[in-house]
Amino acid sequence: MNALRRGIKNAFRNTVRSVGVIVILAVAIALSISMLVARDAVTKKINDVRASTGNTITVSPKGFFGFQGGGTPLTDAQMSEIASVAHVTVVRASLNERLTSSETSLTSGITPGTLGQQFGGGGFGGATGTTTTFSIPITVTGTTDPGNALTGGASGGGTEKLTSGSSFSASSSGDVAIIGTTLASANKLTVGSTFTAWKTSIKVIGIYNAQSTFANNGVLMPLATVQKLAGAANQVTGATVVVDNVNNVASTAKAISAKLGSAADVTSQQQATLTALAPLNSVKTISTYTLFGAVGAAGIILLLSMLMIVRERRREVGVLKALGASNRSVIGQFIAESTTFTVLGSIVGLIVGILLSSPITSALVSASSNTSSGGGGFTRNGFGGGPGGGFGGGGFTRPTTSSGLRFGGFHSTITQVHAAVGWSTLLFAFIAAIVVAIVGSAVATATILRIRPAEVLRSE
Amino acid sequence: MLQVKNLEKKFRTDAGDILAVNDVSFEAKNGEMVAIVGPSGSGKSTLLSLLGLLDAPDSGSIDINGVELARLDAKGRTLYRSRQVGFIFQAFNLIPNLNAKENVLLALEFADWPKDDRDARATEMLEMVGLDEVKARRRPNRLSGGEQQRVAIARAFAAQPPLILADEPTGSLDRQTGQKIVELLREAATKQQTTVLVVTHDEKIASQADRRLEIEDGVLQEVA
Repeated sequence: MNALRRGIKNAFRNTVRSVGVIVILAVAIALSISMLVARDAVTKKINDVRASTGNTITVSPKGFFGFQGGGTPLTDAQMSEIASVAHVTVVRASLNERLTSSETSLTSGITPGTLGQQFGGGGFGGATGTTTTFSIPITVTGTTDPGNALTGGASGGGTEKLTSGSSFSASSSGDVAIIGTTLASANKLTVGSTFTAWKTSIKVIGIYNAQSTFANNGVLMPLATVQKLAGAANQVTGATVVVDNVNNVASTAKAISAKLGSAADVTSQQQATLTALAPLNSVKTISTYTLFGAVGAAGIILLLSMLMIVRERRREVGVLKALGASNRSVIGQFIAESTTFTVLGSIVGLIVGILLSSPITSALVSASSNTSSGGGGFTRNGFGGGPGGGFGGGGFTRPTTSSGLRFGGFHSTITQVHAAVGWSTLLFAFIAAIVVAIVGSAVATATILRIRPAEVLRSE
Repeated sequence: MLQVKNLEKKFRTDAGDILAVNDVSFEAKNGEMVAIVGPSGSGKSTLLSLLGLLDAPDSGSIDINGVELARLDAKGRTLYRSRQVGFIFQAFNLIPNLNAKENVLLALEFADWPKDDRDARATEMLEMVGLDEVKARRRPNRLSGGEQQRVAIARAFAAQPPLILADEPTGSLDRQTGQKIVELLREAATKQQTTVLVVTHDEKIASQADRRLEIEDGVLQEVA
């Protein structure tokens, strides 16, 4: 029986103590894995959000918002200037127009209803006719980025997705359109059908779904086409600028502001993103500290257990040495014992950790979000959902992306963190277990080296 | 053949140096059983520690079959202990979670005994001390004191060391069992041609040895 086998056998010498040590180690390792999974999941979410949400800048004519306000439209030339700014990766220019019943053959798929009657002809300027008899106007969005024109909740829905047909290219100037499902249904239009706008026959080449009735009541057309047909040559009513990294948003927004001067309002979502991400960052910090704490605790638990075991078996170590066992052999035996504890604790901890990681992650994110979002509802939900949703029925919608539109429903999705145990997590758990075993054996090893077999005889 | 010459060991205390082993010289032949007797604190255990290379002497030499051992380094002392000396303790000092046979196998493992022969050798040694297969599979806590000491004897003799050091081997046993153990030691010493040094208080046991050495205040004298 070699040192390895003796060590493994020794691990079960005192069943109660062994079970106790293994359970405590398992709890610490389960906690470590849960925290690691939570940390990874939250980090991924933060990176995803930063990559997809927080790295945009909204540019709109100064004093203009939705179909309210005033100001002078921006121009294609200014879009080119924006595109030349460092860190800008995409410029999504758009021109929004409304088609009244006299300008189109299309009929709105949305009935005015009470809200429409209330807001329709009033202050929001979103309807035609009077407050009692009007029809919801059809919003036309001229875009250079079909497929992303409604990204982030513009028009109160989600990003448009084609349900049939095809899209048009960014540089297209054809008399073509992609229309929402609500509008298509109301006008019995399918791919290949035509409708009239600004006295021009427009061919439907695709139908999209953007997950909201209002958003699906719109028309997407090439920017150049809308500029041509609406008599708005070179005009742009808004742009969404995508920046390569969320950390460059502030400087890029500043640079765009400097280029456009007083012609435009330049707003970014960086601060809103950082605020929205604060709960996740808290979870990340908590899980990181807890992770190291749990691994450290596991190491200390094993260290103290092994120290206690070595002290208890001091005489036995002396006897082994007296019989001719080398220090290496005796140390190997105790390392095998502590490794057995660690391996068993790791197996149990891994299973428990995998089972608990998802609910623990959800609980952490939920608790942190609830704490952080107190009083912040207006910023994320009220304002964010407002223009696209609440006031949309009255014709108040601007399909350009504003901070409010972008964060419509953001709070609810940011807490949807997907916890998964990946290979990197398992690798970390394995390395952590080895570290725990080494730490756990270290002091025991030092104690073993100091034991002199002569002490055994003297104490006889 | 064991040859000890001018062996000395001092311990420093607050009251000054204590000469625990004072210029000890003696010889013991292979197969000879030598009793070392003396009162408590006379230096018996210290002498045994020096001979077993559990402690290093301040001066003097220990020679077993022509090999000088007193100046060995730590690795050499470990090797010596595993192959050249067997220990028998008063409290048996068997490893509690190993059965009798595994305890014997332990000594064979440390002595690097050929792996294929270890099992047979352990069985042979346990049979030599009168323990059958059933007892061989028992852990120490399921053996009597006498049986445990038999296992310890089997363990000590297993690797065929030229020197066996027994420190009060009958101290924890009743007189009758103790007598059997001494007979066993005698028998094993003769059979394996091993020098056995027995430290004891028991005059009756000492009288059964081939020779008797008395130690007092670290000074060893042969008694006729």
